[in-house]
Amino acid sequence: MVSQWGIKFAVYLITNHFGKIVAKVCENLLNHGALTLDLAIRYTELSSEHVKNSLLVLIQHNCVQAFVAEGGDDDGSRVKTEYMVLFDNILHRLRFPKFMEIVSGDLDDKCAKIFEGLLRDGRLNMKQMVDRESQGKENAAAAAAVRESLLKLLMARYVERCPLPEARVVEREIITKKRGAKGAQNFKAPETKEQRVIEAAVRGDMIRFSLNADIGCNSDGETNPADTSVAETDAKEDLILWRANFEEFTRHLRDKALVENVRARMDDGAAIVLSAILKATRNKDKEVKIEKSVPLPPDTIFSEVIKTENGRTMTIDRVKAALVQLGCSNQMLYEYVVDLKHIIRWARNEEVESIVLKRYGRDAYRMFRHLSKENQFCPTDKLADATLVEKKEAPKLLYKLWKENYLHMEKLSVTGGNTKPVSILMWKVNQPLLWEHVLDEMYHGALNLKLRMASEQEKEEEIINTPKAKINESVPLLKKYKRLQNVLLLLGSSLMKLDDAIMLFHDF
Amino acid sequence: MNRLQESAFPPRKRQKVSEPVLTDEERLLFNLIRSRENIGIWTGDMKRETNLPTTVVNKSLKTLISKNMIKEVTTIQNKGRKHYMAKEFMPSEEITGGHFYSDGKLDIDYINSLKDVCLKCIFMQKVSTCEGCLEWIKRSGVFNTEVTTKQMEEILQTLVLDDEITQMISTGFGEFASISVGKTCYISKSKGGVRGEKKTADLTSFPCFSCQRMTFCSPDGTISPATCVYYQKWLDF
Repeated sequence: MVSQWGIKFAVYLITNHFGKIVAKVCENLLNHGALTLDLAIRYTELSSEHVKNSLLVLIQHNCVQAFVAEGGDDDGSRVKTEYMVLFDNILHRLRFPKFMEIVSGDLDDKCAKIFEGLLRDGRLNMKQMVDRESQGKENAAAAAAVRESLLKLLMARYVERCPLPEARVVEREIITKKRGAKGAQNFKAPETKEQRVIEAAVRGDMIRFSLNADIGCNSDGETNPADTSVAETDAKEDLILWRANFEEFTRHLRDKALVENVRARMDDGAAIVLSAILKATRNKDKEVKIEKSVPLPPDTIFSEVIKTENGRTMTIDRVKAALVQLGCSNQMLYEYVVDLKHIIRWARNEEVESIVLKRYGRDAYRMFRHLSKENQFCPTDKLADATLVEKKEAPKLLYKLWKENYLHMEKLSVTGGNTKPVSILMWKVNQPLLWEHVLDEMYHGALNLKLRMASEQEKEEEIINTPKAKINESVPLLKKYKRLQNVLLLLGSSLMKLDDAIMLFHDF
Repeated sequence: MNRLQESAFPPRKRQKVSEPVLTDEERLLFNLIRSRENIGIWTGDMKRETNLPTTVVNKSLKTLISKNMIKEVTTIQNKGRKHYMAKEFMPSEEITGGHFYSDGKLDIDYINSLKDVCLKCIFMQKVSTCEGCLEWIKRSGVFNTEVTTKQMEEILQTLVLDDEITQMISTGFGEFASISVGKTCYISKSKGGVRGEKKTADLTSFPCFSCQRMTFCSPDGTISPATCVYYQKWLDF
């Protein structure tokens, strides 16, 4: 379930991009969970036309997935399509500049341009991509060139085929799905309905990243590839829709965050080795949120390390020392596994601690760190003693932290002999709950930044609408213009930084 | 600074020489107080346990104090309560609050100066142990009182919690060469430019995460980002 401020922030983003009507549909989907068209119309109190079109817009931009629930008590004659909003994909809209940067850093301009089109339009087929490329040019862009760029994007897994337009989800499914003999081994039951729908809609890796129209074409008949003509292939190709593969970008950003964290906490050597391990095991892990890296033998790690310029300076001994530093286990089998979850956990803790320090001061920071280190209930007096905080001040600070959901508190009533029962307050840091709360605050903060940006722009509307030449002439106008620019830049960069933290708590 | 004295039970000498003459009530009260050793006893508890009227208790206490047999002590838990202890005992940590308490108050200045000196010591020695820091302080002569090992351990622990130093176990190699293997030691976190740049997104650079009023803030509320004074200050170019 998405938190309160998460919903507000997502609705704000959709309002900004697609207007109020679409946002209203989106808000209802976020609040009520998956809805059928009829229910969506009833909840939103909008005309069916409006709701239908809004859903189409949201599907086009990959923010909604349609699915059919099967296996309920209905007889199958009245199959209802439900629509589920994909919260993560709405938030990804904020990260488009980051995704763009990754693609332009890795591939050439042509690929970047096609990718930009996909981000802007949500989903495109081959013909649309070629048309887009040809716009404003004298000669129509060659389909072959577009195909080539798309192929590169597919190879890097930056682009994927759109998932099935209507996924079939078995209600209350008991894990029966198998994807080959191998898939069955590590298959875990998907937790939420959202995950189940996504899982059901996604295509197998072979089809997902294949340009060839014949493989896994979702047309009904099973035609033999040899029988089809070129024209037919083209027609089929136009049926395939492409979109940006957000999962790959999340993975990319996760790897970057992991490596940077290790660099800050340990040293460059450990960072290089971790980066090599992640590179060598890319696409081997099925999910983004993995706990441990895929086991790798030391030789593979070393050969990956020496591929980079900085890695070449490292000897095997140094690589091994770095692996020990990373807390690698499983040396018995001559394979190394890094506990990635631990690094993420550490980074989250540091983030929360820095908030506590800034908001509640150094004494509170010390007590908070003590509690999160101990990871068990601790009475007020003992806590004050261990952290050298004035015993009178400690309860006040702790109460403040508790009131804002940073600490968990239990009251204990102690009776001994004839004395009156004394109540003792016990404190604890409850990490999973705390992280949820901090994430909610982050959504709130992000919304605040966005709102402030809008209000600054509104306030200075006059300047934004004034032609540039006129601004340059007048000194006060120029001063105002420069201030606005600086303000927007600062707000924008803060939002991107905050988004890094949101990803740390939500996506990794 | 009497709180630094080692023993809580200094030998009594004077009592053997001449026992002051006491009334029965005074004797009863004195024995009760003395039986509580270094914890002492509150007047309320005295009345309850001896069943003596308040006036008698107060009078007897006055006499005992004037005869230099008991003393009044401040307790950390309840400063308003009158608490008494036999003269020969030193108040226990439960009463005083701990090593760093004097007159029922935490000696923050003393703690901070100890912290500063420890940090300097660890930074200069690159890596140091609890004993190392004690030795360094002794030699430097900054403090005219003696710092105990227990105090030093507490100070180092709070520095770890402050994220100023890191606790490590000596490997006996490299920078740990001067310390025997397996011993707990501490290294400074501020090494100038050596440490990688801090990775935290540093959320605190913008107002929301250092703001204590975030729970009251909403887009249309009395506190809103459009009118927020902290934002105003932050965006004041």
